Amino acid sequence: MAAIAISARRRVRALPAGPRYLAGRLGQAVLALFGVTTIVFFALRLSGDPARLLVPEGASAADIERVREQLGLTDPLWRQYLSFLGGAVHGDLGFSYVQNRPATELIAERLPYTANLAVAALLLSIVFGVTVGVVTALKRGRWQERALMPVVLVGQAMPAFWTGLLLILVFSVGLRWLPSTGYDGPLSLLLPSVTLASLSAAAIARVTRGSVLEQLSRDYVRTARAKGAGTGRIVLRHLARNSAIPVLTVAGLELANLLGGAVVTEVIFAWPGLGQLTIQSVSARDFPVVQAIVVFASAVYIGINLLTDLLYGVIDRRVTVGGAA
Amino acid sequence: MNRRTMLIPLAVLVMYVVAAVFAPLLAPDDPNAVTLARRLLPPGGGHLLGTDALGRDVLSRVIFGTRISLLVAAGAVLTGGVFGVAVGVIAGWRGGRIGAVIMRLVDVVLSVPFFLLAILVVAVLGPSLLNVVVCLALVRWPRYARVAHSATLQARGRGFVTAATATGAPAWWIVLRHVLPEVLPVAIVVGTLELGLMVIYEASLSFLGLGVQPPTASWGSILSDGQQYIASAWWLAAFPGIALFVLVLAANLLGDAARDRLDPAKRTEIPKARRGTRRQARRQPA
Amino acid sequence: MIQRSLALVAAALCLGATACGIQPATAQRGPGTIVIDTANYPSTLDPGKQYDTDTYSVYRNIFDQLLRRDPKTNKVVPWLATDWKQTEPTTWRFTMRRGVTFSDGSPLTAGDAAYSINRILDKDYGSQQYANFSVITKATAEGGDLVVRTKVPSPTLLSYLTTLSVVPEAYVRRVGDKQFAVKPVGSGAYTLQEATSGSEVVLRANPRWWGPRTQIRTAVFRSVPNVASRVADLQSRRADLATGLTPDAADQIRRDKNLAIRSTPTERVAYLAFNTIKGGPSNDPRVRRAISEAIDYRALIANLQRGYAKPINSLVTPLAFGYDTSRPGYRHDPAHAKQLLREADAAGAKLVMATSPSFDPQIVQAIQADLSAVGLRVEIRNSDQATYLKKVQDPSRDWGSIRFGRWSCSCLDADGVLYPLFHTGEIWSSYSSRDFDRIVQQGRETTDPERRKALYRQAFDVLARDLPGVGLFQTYAIYGANTRLRWTPDAVESLFLDQMKVS
Repeated sequence: MAAIAISARRRVRALPAGPRYLAGRLGQAVLALFGVTTIVFFALRLSGDPARLLVPEGASAADIERVREQLGLTDPLWRQYLSFLGGAVHGDLGFSYVQNRPATELIAERLPYTANLAVAALLLSIVFGVTVGVVTALKRGRWQERALMPVVLVGQAMPAFWTGLLLILVFSVGLRWLPSTGYDGPLSLLLPSVTLASLSAAAIARVTRGSVLEQLSRDYVRTARAKGAGTGRIVLRHLARNSAIPVLTVAGLELANLLGGAVVTEVIFAWPGLGQLTIQSVSARDFPVVQAIVVFASAVYIGINLLTDLLYGVIDRRVTVGGAA
Repeated sequence: MNRRTMLIPLAVLVMYVVAAVFAPLLAPDDPNAVTLARRLLPPGGGHLLGTDALGRDVLSRVIFGTRISLLVAAGAVLTGGVFGVAVGVIAGWRGGRIGAVIMRLVDVVLSVPFFLLAILVVAVLGPSLLNVVVCLALVRWPRYARVAHSATLQARGRGFVTAATATGAPAWWIVLRHVLPEVLPVAIVVGTLELGLMVIYEASLSFLGLGVQPPTASWGSILSDGQQYIASAWWLAAFPGIALFVLVLAANLLGDAARDRLDPAKRTEIPKARRGTRRQARRQPA
Repeated sequence: MIQRSLALVAAALCLGATACGIQPATAQRGPGTIVIDTANYPSTLDPGKQYDTDTYSVYRNIFDQLLRRDPKTNKVVPWLATDWKQTEPTTWRFTMRRGVTFSDGSPLTAGDAAYSINRILDKDYGSQQYANFSVITKATAEGGDLVVRTKVPSPTLLSYLTTLSVVPEAYVRRVGDKQFAVKPVGSGAYTLQEATSGSEVVLRANPRWWGPRTQIRTAVFRSVPNVASRVADLQSRRADLATGLTPDAADQIRRDKNLAIRSTPTERVAYLAFNTIKGGPSNDPRVRRAISEAIDYRALIANLQRGYAKPINSLVTPLAFGYDTSRPGYRHDPAHAKQLLREADAAGAKLVMATSPSFDPQIVQAIQADLSAVGLRVEIRNSDQATYLKKVQDPSRDWGSIRFGRWSCSCLDADGVLYPLFHTGEIWSSYSSRDFDRIVQQGRETTDPERRKALYRQAFDVLARDLPGVGLFQTYAIYGANTRLRWTPDAVESLFLDQMKVS
């Protein structure tokens, strides 16, 4: 993960920060996005037939053909692809085969749930991860480190379905404090966000620790120490600012991942977010919805990446001024 | 990280590899022997770790599962790592427009939701152990590409590479001789950390019915088979879970140790630390 | 940065703080409200479109059906149609109930019923239920009655009309199909209160309903895909009823004295089908017989199904019209199976078993073990449902040798099972027999019950000889319920809220 710290510094230096740079990156992103949607478009059509999943069990081959025609799947592939592209340019990503509603509308409905969960999980994992990271770095080799690291790793070493069910068993079935599944009110947010956070907290803790350790070895910290500054002040004054970039990078990546939908967690907690929509529409070969999700997830990811890049400059000016630190 | 703390995780990994290789000798039972009359027996008695929902011996399944889980994890890390490093180094070395486009492509692959990609791969290629590996490698290679890319850029800026280029050495030689040694340590660190993660991913695939084919045992498939018994037969998921946890722990410790030893940025600082006072030395990240 | 980290901590603390003043989720629930967990969110609320269990469980409460089945006897009984007669072999006349109104106040007429049928038959509408009604040529309203004409005399017409929900023609035409699916208006016992896509649908009792007063005021249908989560919902009192439980989950539910299992034998049959055309070893009838004798049916029922299943003697359940009780059951005789395999020169042969995650993996693996005990090497090929269907239903029939499945036609009739599974050229059939085709085709077009029964006896004889498939057991529907809910499930897995009561 130290590598990420390196990459962060490198990227900041490579940031001419002009609108030209931004436009260039956006252009590349659109190009890449186009490539991926094309691949997904054709790969999806290789692997299964939505009509077969839509008809009742006793249907005949003719019934299936009827549904295929209805969905426009009997057209040649290139025509289907052109009409998809044509629609996509105008922001029309098609109608869901299953629910017969605009794919974009379905995504818009699920997005608040996913966003809510993602942000809550990110907050929890940042708070927990950064705390653990800083403490284990400062207390390197002491009992605090030995006690804390395994705790973080437990979360990372358990599959989400397992963590989630355990939490439900303890807090919903056993103690009856929190709702087990679904969404009604902020309380419902707690268990799924802890489940998700347990996965990303470890990554954040690790980066924070690495980054703080790196800063600790720098001259300015030693100077501050020599002047008699306490550990607490050093951490707050200097380390926080200088260690923030790699942490931010990882946090950005995690957020993008979370927004793409946390499939397993959403299934366990019956959370009506994008993750469930993804798995349902892929399973049903609901092509328009899957395509729309890919476009959306990629756009979000690219957007967040750009944003974190821009934020580097805002948060750590010293680095931008030529890495003088 | 001292030698002793590096030995323990190494020993654990060796132990796992031994268990995987000698599974048929170590396992008390056939891992796939179904006995419906003896299903869901708690640990103890004839079955040290109990039996699963089909009456199969959990201990034997966990031992044989080590094979599959390690194979999947190592396979995914190696395939994804080699491919990712190659792409990252090429992008970093060529730089310019080509490099930028490659790296944007990496971003986009990273952005496709994991399970969407997984289902597509499994559906298109058909389900098999090999395809689980392919699928995981396909999803994870961009991580290696990213670190390899930035390490390559860094190496390019160094004096010895500039010097080598000036002497007219062929590009492939410079890359092999000067760039790769800078890139590999970082990639290895990422790889060790990914090792544990791949086992978890395989478990998630199993949970969605896309993992290894039944009746093959992997830790992931035992865990996901056990999830509906979480309240009634704890042993189904507890034991593969522990095996998994220890592996993740060991891989992480090893990753940390490897980073401290191999990271070129840190390597240069080691002598400084030796020269310093004892107090300072402890503060060094080396 | 400092302020920022503090803000983060505060936000996290906020999250933590809300966690302390906790109200149990059940506290907000009124006495007349019930919460029902199903696996899937209904794919539509337009009853003309799809017909799958989790979808019709919801919309059949918003709409009335033309006919219903008596939940105890499974006989077709009056519902919107109070009386009916077959005026000609291909013509049926239904008398409509009077005084029924849709929830928007408009009266329900024979015209609405005819429209509901013709809509499904309309190619442009693209109903996925078309197959169930394709025998109908046209439905019309004549003198206040509904008249249905069929291509051939149809013995199963009434069965399928129990699945027909009647929609308001004027309203549907006014708002269009898309809007209708979002804001459905029906004449049923409940109306749609609100729907959260992918999560839950809330129904409220319809005060204008013509039937007896219902006791449930509000019903919340939630989609909870994971079985263990549905069990946890029951245990934590978040749900009053959960559908689609496994036999092992039922054991867990029973340990809670405030919860109970409601289960009933259904018309759903668990079966094995063989590829007799391109199945390799399974092309040989002796191998198919050996497989049928290798399976330990009793162990499947007693140990895996935990008693939530019944042995059967053919590919349909005793609930289906045409079931022949006099047939002998399937035999479990591994020694004889081995001998048959030796005769067929198939000892140690390799077979591919095609399956998907939607088919109980425990049963699939238990069968694999049974077959390996008689010396057949079975490779399980598990692919996701879409891929599985594409492979198994492909006209090339090149999908492997055996598959496991569960079948329910919602029609309680042998025709709905035998025809689609084994008639030559049907998408599920990897079997071809002229005798069989002729018999089941006749069975489809004969209305005299005794003659039909005789036909299906013949069909079962052919199947017993050729063994293109094996009936493993009749499955039970397993529901977990809070004991405050009084309700008895039925054989066709309907969830009619008007039949439920809470205390």
